[in-house]
Amino acid sequence: MRIVAATKILKANDQIAAENRALLASAGVCCVNVVGSPGSGKTTLIEALLKHFAGRISAAVIEGDIAGSIDAERIAALGVPAVQINTDGACHLDAAMIAAALRELDLNGLQLLLIENVGNLVCPASFDLGEHLRIVVLSVSEGDDKAVKYPAVFQSAHALCVTKTDLLPYTNFSLPRITADIHRLNPRARCFEAAALRGEGVAAITEWLTEHLNAAKAGAKASAEK
Amino acid sequence: MHELAIAEAVIEQVQRELNRAGQRGRVHRVELSIGRLSGVNCDSLRFAFDLLAPGTIVEGAALHINQPAATCVCSACGKRTAIEELVVACPACASEEISIEGGRDLLLQSVDVEGPCESSPPRKS
Repeated sequence: MRIVAATKILKANDQIAAENRALLASAGVCCVNVVGSPGSGKTTLIEALLKHFAGRISAAVIEGDIAGSIDAERIAALGVPAVQINTDGACHLDAAMIAAALRELDLNGLQLLLIENVGNLVCPASFDLGEHLRIVVLSVSEGDDKAVKYPAVFQSAHALCVTKTDLLPYTNFSLPRITADIHRLNPRARCFEAAALRGEGVAAITEWLTEHLNAAKAGAKASAEK
Repeated sequence: MHELAIAEAVIEQVQRELNRAGQRGRVHRVELSIGRLSGVNCDSLRFAFDLLAPGTIVEGAALHINQPAATCVCSACGKRTAIEELVVACPACASEEISIEGGRDLLLQSVDVEGPCESSPPRKS
């Protein structure tokens, strides 16, 4: 006999992701999934955001890497709670890994949870983690053709952050080209430019994030009062 | 290489469908729908499925993959064009005022299992 299923292959992942999102929303936490190639500057951008928010916003970070805890140590050095996930070869994080990591974190009073995905422009696009926002990080040395070459991840993002813009004079990267490509692929995505090591361009991203943090807090308060 | 994780999810989803339908027979065909713009490579998915299948409920099952096209909808000329890969302009009039519909789904369409009622109608959801 034929069983007609027509169900999503990643239904199990999507269900856990929805639970993660609901848990975080009820705690008033805004969760951001940071994706990008290895070396695009994801950790450096996260460090810059954390430094900017230090003393004002309560943040935590989940670090996803195939192996090692270098990134979690970098975050912990800033005095921010960090959970390292080692995927043991897997090229992306999935919702179940995040659910396990969430059990290691105190969500009480937490406002911002940054998840650094495994460095990869392909696989993380398919896996919802339960985040509220997805940021794609693209460094100028990777080239301005990446949005067209890896459309899925750029189409799934709420924002693009072009990083290492202080290196622009040494590359043929065109900011107008990447911006035009993003707007064609994903008209609603915000575009940011940053040289995170110098702290340049970080304020604009934190302003945008702050709007979402306030909305997350207000949403949790409203549903608690119901 | 996320095709390995997708193949794992396929096998788990097949198991759930069998449980829901109360079937325990041998699975002899699995049909998937992998959208052209989903970012999943079907050759890699087949490879991963064949690698994982032995010892599971889908051991020996044929994997059939449909690859539905996406549609480019042009707001300048009004044409709807089936596309097999992403475009940034309308294939008909070259306008960039387009939107892309579909082509991203990853679906388990059907599972054929050895069982008594060969001609049972599709389950209505």
